[in-house]
This record gives sequence, C-alpha cells and structure tokens, in this order.
Amino acid sequence: MTALSVNQINKHFYDPVDFHVLKDISFDIKQGEFVAIIGKSGSGKSTLLYLLSTMDTDYDGIISINDTQVTGLSQNKLASFRNEHIGFVFQFHFLLPEFSVLDNIMLPALKLKKKSKEEIEDKAMELLALLDIKGLERKKASKISGGQQQRVAIARALINSPAIIMGDEPTGNLDSKNTNIVFDTFRQLAKEQGQTIIAVTHDDEFADKCDRIIELSDGMLV
Amino acid sequence: MNINQRIANIFLTSRVRQLLVAVLSVTFGISMYVFMNSFMSGVNEEQTEITFTAMSHIKIYNELPLEVQTIKPPPTDSHTVLMVSNNRNIQYTEGIQNVDPIKEELSQIPNITGVTAQLNQNVFIRNGVSKASASLSGIETTNEDDLFNTSDYLVEGKLSDLDKQSNAIILGTGLAKNIGVRTGNNVTILTSDGLSKSFKVVGLIETGANMADRTRALVSIQAARQLLSENRSYATEVLVNITDYNDAQGTAEIIKQLTDYKVEPWQEGNEQLDSSNVLRDIIAIAVSLTILIVAGFGIYNIMNMTVNEKIKEIAILKAMGFNGKDVVEIFLTQSVIIGLMGGLTGLMLGATIVKIIDNVPFKMGPLTTLPVTYDSSDYLMAFAFGILITFIAGYLPARKASKLDPVDILRG
Repeated sequence: MTALSVNQINKHFYDPVDFHVLKDISFDIKQGEFVAIIGKSGSGKSTLLYLLSTMDTDYDGIISINDTQVTGLSQNKLASFRNEHIGFVFQFHFLLPEFSVLDNIMLPALKLKKKSKEEIEDKAMELLALLDIKGLERKKASKISGGQQQRVAIARALINSPAIIMGDEPTGNLDSKNTNIVFDTFRQLAKEQGQTIIAVTHDDEFADKCDRIIELSDGMLV
Repeated sequence: MNINQRIANIFLTSRVRQLLVAVLSVTFGISMYVFMNSFMSGVNEEQTEITFTAMSHIKIYNELPLEVQTIKPPPTDSHTVLMVSNNRNIQYTEGIQNVDPIKEELSQIPNITGVTAQLNQNVFIRNGVSKASASLSGIETTNEDDLFNTSDYLVEGKLSDLDKQSNAIILGTGLAKNIGVRTGNNVTILTSDGLSKSFKVVGLIETGANMADRTRALVSIQAARQLLSENRSYATEVLVNITDYNDAQGTAEIIKQLTDYKVEPWQEGNEQLDSSNVLRDIIAIAVSLTILIVAGFGIYNIMNMTVNEKIKEIAILKAMGFNGKDVVEIFLTQSVIIGLMGGLTGLMLGATIVKIIDNVPFKMGPLTTLPVTYDSSDYLMAFAFGILITFIAGYLPARKASKLDPVDILRG
C-alpha cells in the first residue's frame, strides 16, 4: 500500500532571485517504510520535507498522502489533515516551554477531539513509558534535558497515531546514545505499528540503517 | 475549558507582570471613564438643579403674535389697490385671562408633576427715600413651593404668611438690603400704571443667584391681581414641571395641542444652559474615550509583543494542526480576559474615585462637596467600551499571528 506519493514536484524560491530548488521530483513511499532523505546542505531536502508535511503549499506537482490528494486543499483542511495523519519531530524539539511534558504530548490529541481527555492521558502515559521518560510528565518542558525533550517531541508526534511521522533531523542535536534511542523507537514503530517514517538527516550512520534512502543533489533525485 | 482557552490561559499566566500592566491600563481607562462621566453629569445636574430653583420645565404665556395681522384681506381683483399705512402689531389681550381651565387640562397629562400660575410685573419698591425696581411675582404659594421648593430658600418668615394677609410681601435679601428694610417693616409698591400700595415685609428669600436676590419680591397671586386690577383668574404665565426635565420638548408639543398660548420648554429659552450641558458631556466622553483608546494601544502593544515572543509556539501549534481560527481564538481569549479583569477592577476603582470625589469639600454657592452622580449606565458604557477596545486591540495582533507561515519560522 502506498502511504505517500509525489508526482512531478517543482519548487522555486523567488527571493532574492529565482532559484529552482526542487526539479521534477517523483517517488512513492510504501506504508511501514522507514525512509531517510539525505543530501548536502542546500540540496533541498528540508524544503522537500516541508512540502510533504503540507505546511508549504507553494509548489507545482501533486502530493497524495494515504490516497488523499493534499495538493489544492485549503489551509484549514490541511491543518486538520496534519493534526490527524502526520506527526512531526523537529531538530530543535520545539516544545511549548511553559506547558508541562504531559500537556505538550496531549495537545495534538486535545485538538483532534476524537477521544476523551482520560483516554488521551492514558495514551500519553503509555508513550512516556515507551520512550522511557516516565516520571517527567508533571515537569515543565523547559526544565528537562535536551535528549528528554526530543523524546517528548516524539511522543507528541505519536499521540494521534498518525500514518506518517516526519522528522527534520530528529537526531540532529543528540548524542549517539540518545540518537540510538530515537532510532530504535522509530524502527520499532515502523515494524510493529506499520507507521511510515520519513526523516531528513545528514547523519550517514543513521541513514544507512533505514529501509530506503532518498538522496537529493541540486534539487534532483539521485 | 477547551484546548484553545487553556493555551491562552497558560500563555497569559506565564507572564504575570505583562498581564498586570495590560490589566492596569484597562483598569485605569475604565475608571477614568466612570469618573469623568459621573463628575460631569454631577456638575450638569447640579447646574440644572440651581437653574430650576427659579425656572420651570415648561412655561405657558401670552406672546405678541409674530406676524402683523392685516386689517383687510388682500383684494382679489386686479383693479383694486389696498394700501395700509403704519400697520401696527397690537397685542389685543395681555396675559392669560382665565388660567383655571388651562390648569384643569394640564392636570390630565400624566407626566406633569406640578402646575402653578404666576403674575409677574415690574414695579418700583420704595422705603422712604430709597427706591429700587423689582420684579414682583404674585404666586400660588403651595403650588409654587411644590415646583421650586421656594420655602427652602426663605431665610426669614414662612411662605404661607403671604396667604394670611393681603398686604404681606417677601423680598430678596439683596433687594431688602438695597432699600434698607427688615422683616416687619413696611414698603410701598408703585406700579407702572401709577398705583401705589403699602405692603408689610414678612420674610426674606435668598437663592444664591445674586441678580434674582436683588430684584425678587413675592406676594400672593390674589394680592397681585388686586394691585394690578385684574380679574380673579388672571395670570401672566403658567409654569409646569414634569417628571424628567429632558422630556420638556416632547411634553410641550402635547400641551401645544391644548392651548393657543405660547408653550415654551426650558431648552428654548435657555439654550446657553442646554448647550453647556451638552458641551460638558462631549468633553467628558472625548476625554474618557481618549483614555480608553490609549489603554487600547497599550493592550495592542502588549499583545503584539506577546505574538512576537510566541512566534515559535504559534508555528509549532500550526504544524501540529491548529488552524488560523484557533490561533485567533487563543490570542483573542487572552485580550478578552485582560479586558474583563481590567473592566471589573476599573469599575471598582472608578466607583471608589467617584465616592472619594463625592466627599471632597467644595464650598461655593449652594455646594458643600463636589457634585457627582451614580448612574449605572455610565458603568455599563465604560465596561462595554473597555471590552470593545480590548477586543479590537487584541484582534489585530491575533489576526497577524494567524497568518504566520509556520515554515518560515520553523526553518529558522
């Protein structure tokens, strides 16, 4: 089954001068695949990820996720689509610092409103256990270590059981021990829950362990 | 509490000092609005009250017709020429010959609270060699007292004394001083027709309005009729008070249906008073709205700062699936909470200031303390304006936040 399909994507940046970032990119990703997008800095890999994430809508071509064509949907529709189907992990964790760890994890689910608050809380506690950060739930997000914050961010990405998890250098600022924890978690999710994982990385070791590598060079697939 | 409100709440409480400053600016704006308007309408009311001690809400009198009446109708055929030389405007009747039916009809109108007839005439008052001109009022003592609380201003004697003797007179304190008389002395009144009659001073009146106190002389209306040889139902004017003096124009229209005499609401004869009331209200509203708007800028500024500070959080929320409407709701909720908190404390502070002002000694004329009013509509308006302004001041940054492109911010 195809989780994500990209058809003839072209993307330009117009400021300060016209720059053709992505050129005729097409590929499919199967459900449960663990994909790494690699490439040199400036090759357009992050840009591609933001297109796939539906946050950037300024491109030519067609992107479909889970057989839904997301190209052309309104911003509000895309927002609720992201909420339900896509989980995000950023390089710099990007938690809400004033919220507790538990609140941070629960936010996307509270927005989705498919489950009761108690169910969401149970699920969040489960994820905390899964990611081995149990006991931190009442702490403020700004008061825990970087490795812990990154795992909280992963838990947050998983709370709605999204079909696709996207990471923009999810291990970019983690030490090797934490990198391994994060990688193993992703691996496990792809295997056991059939979730598709797409991660932009420049960590070759990380990429080598993935199911598939998509390499970009000067905006083209290699 | 839904998730957006919870986020708003956490954003707000994480910056207590900023929240406090924002709330205080609303508090200050709203309390100034309450204070300015209570004080100004207090001044207006006091001013009007002083005026109405000598003036009724509506006055009915016989006015010289505005148009000169022609003696003969204009000729209809073109061969005739009508020439009238020295055409005069003659008043055929003076005063109101028969006030009783008018008073009877007026008493049928529901919002009329009091009616009194007066017979006013300019006369000379004489005590030996000292002589002064005075405006003599023949009054119906009970009705007059109902309308103007005249007896409150008597410094000596009683109003009812006028009814007991046909030659009793009450003089303004300034007038009595000018001609050198006291209660118990006799004075002579000279009318313009050359009649003279002796009266006995039974009391003195002081209203605080110097001009009136130097010319005022009161007798009973019967004595005045007798003095001027008029019939027993004659008066020069009928004065009417109604429940709310602001309705005088409306009621005057109703009275005009009943009588051919000139009906004049107080605003018509005292435009300077009406206009100064309106002007004071405009100043009060202008100043207090300005303060509220300044407070609004304060909130706008703070909300703008908050949006800039939370720019990364907004991008994260958007990435997680919160849409533009959610972001607007989050920031609007914050400003509405600021508005509500500032509004309530502002009303309390405003009420306290008004209470303090009410007790500030101010001894001038009839006043002992600064005049204020306690009008719930001032408080409602202040609150409504306060909420409206915080709403607008919060909406603009909120809309800006909702339009942020998360990609720009997350990519760094």
